[in-house]
Amino acid sequence: MNGTSMNATSMNGAEILAVQGLTRIFGGLTAVRDVDMTVRTGEVVGLIGPNGAGKTTLFNMLGGSMPPSSGTIRFDGTDCTGAPPHVMGQRGVSRTFQITSLFPSLTVLDNVRSAAYRTTTAGWGAAILRTAAFRRQEAELKRKALDLLAFCDLEDRADTLADALSYGEQRRLEIAIALAAEPRLLLLDEPAAGMNPEEGQRLVEMIRRIRERGVTVLLVEHHMRIVASVCDRLVVLDHGVKIAEGPPAQVLNDPEVIRVYLGREPVDA
Amino acid sequence: MGHTVGMAGGVAALCVLPFLAGNAYLEHLLALWMLYALLALSLNIVIGYLGELTFGHAAFVGVGAYTSALLSTQLGLPPLLGLPLAAVAAALFGLVIGYAALRVVGPQFTILTLGFGSILYTITNNWVDLTRGPMGISDIPPMAIGPMTFTSARETYFLILALVLAVGFLCHALVNSRTGRAFLAVRENAPLAASLGINVFHTKLLGFVVATAIAGLGGAIYAHYIKVITPDIMGVQNVAALIIVVIIGGRGTIVGPILGALVYIGLLEALRVAGPLRMVIFAALLTGTVVFLPGGLVSLWQRWRTTHKADNNLPAGNGVPSAEGGAE
Repeated sequence: MNGTSMNATSMNGAEILAVQGLTRIFGGLTAVRDVDMTVRTGEVVGLIGPNGAGKTTLFNMLGGSMPPSSGTIRFDGTDCTGAPPHVMGQRGVSRTFQITSLFPSLTVLDNVRSAAYRTTTAGWGAAILRTAAFRRQEAELKRKALDLLAFCDLEDRADTLADALSYGEQRRLEIAIALAAEPRLLLLDEPAAGMNPEEGQRLVEMIRRIRERGVTVLLVEHHMRIVASVCDRLVVLDHGVKIAEGPPAQVLNDPEVIRVYLGREPVDA
Repeated sequence: MGHTVGMAGGVAALCVLPFLAGNAYLEHLLALWMLYALLALSLNIVIGYLGELTFGHAAFVGVGAYTSALLSTQLGLPPLLGLPLAAVAAALFGLVIGYAALRVVGPQFTILTLGFGSILYTITNNWVDLTRGPMGISDIPPMAIGPMTFTSARETYFLILALVLAVGFLCHALVNSRTGRAFLAVRENAPLAASLGINVFHTKLLGFVVATAIAGLGGAIYAHYIKVITPDIMGVQNVAALIIVVIIGGRGTIVGPILGALVYIGLLEALRVAGPLRMVIFAALLTGTVVFLPGGLVSLWQRWRTTHKADNNLPAGNGVPSAEGGAE
């Protein structure tokens, strides 16, 4: 618990996620083929690749919503291959979804409070008896939730229904929801989709601050500027196969990566 | 604060009401109102908080009614003991049926509950050795707690009122706790809820079993009050009535089902003057409510409060709570 924040900026944290030989086959299509990758505590790793490269399929397997056809997923030293989503969630893997996904008819504050399920213990029974532990937990939960809303620039929207937020606010609320579970590993699926450059810049700032909180981040993203400015390391998928891995500066100049993104030969500009 | 005062006023009004009724028939209607309120509150846990529509709820009311009725008429068990056993029996049926049916969601779940409900109805109707079939069970003794017996409508009204208040409190505690927030999260967005560590299936099963236990309790009280029960208690009319009560009042709230039950009982009586047109007018009113007030009657109050707030104060946040208004 104490170690995570100390390792936050270190590149050499312990291995938190280790994926080996991960494969997913849909009928005759191999969406992800034999992918190996690791993520270390405190890193921000970007997962990039053209449309249909298998990024979301890989994400779905890591989040537990889709069992792999073969291969293994180890999270924090435990084999999690094929564990259902709520088990991955309980163990500390939170995710956001490509299409906006929140609790639409709850208030912003209740969105975050509902999302903090994993961090609380006193439930219905304690609420009926109004035990001291329950009241303490609820007060603490509200304080934490408001802090998190402030962190995501949503504090003045606490009583608004999630449905009534603007698009940019909804995307920030999604991150607040994922963080409310106090994850060890945060999977962000195209968080910048549909954002303008200014909102994108805000997102970069936010991801940096998430890392400072001691949360490891794995990010699927199409906006190269965002990926390049926030990630320590990139993993590139093409047709379900890992074709490159390394620091952004190196990977984004890799001729093979340029070829899959731009098509055919690298262009001398 | 205003919330607490309103609550206290409402409870006081409910306590005084039977003394103003003046005749036994009105008191009987009041008792029926409370019974429907109790059953609707239990159904609301599934429809309002979990967001799943069940067509099987009346079957669990029937299981509770038959359990307590048979225990008291066949084995001579005091009704006070039959009451918790009725809740347990209904909850056991709820556990088994919920375990099977909650694997699917949406319309498939609804159809499955309809099927299970019909099975229970058919068994009750045909197992003549046990249930006396369509003839039903009669001469059921009245509820008694020690020297207190609940034979009159007024006495029964107070008995059920106490249960309604208790269940209302349970629901209030639920939605303001971790457990209830998990219910709402599952209703709003099950995949997201799962990704946050909430076991969607277990959460739904818990809500379903609690709802069926309360339904069984309500059924038992009904049996000891009316003294005669037939398999019709499990029929489709009862299923429809309870769903209507929850939706008209306002699903996902505590006041809603209680208010909906009042409108249902009151309107059916008031429309008696219309003779055979009664059910037609009733159906039209219901349809109108669903079309123009999808949030139920309580949404009128929420709508009024929102505009009222907007007139008086600075633009306040959207003040429509989807769960029970959060009193801190």
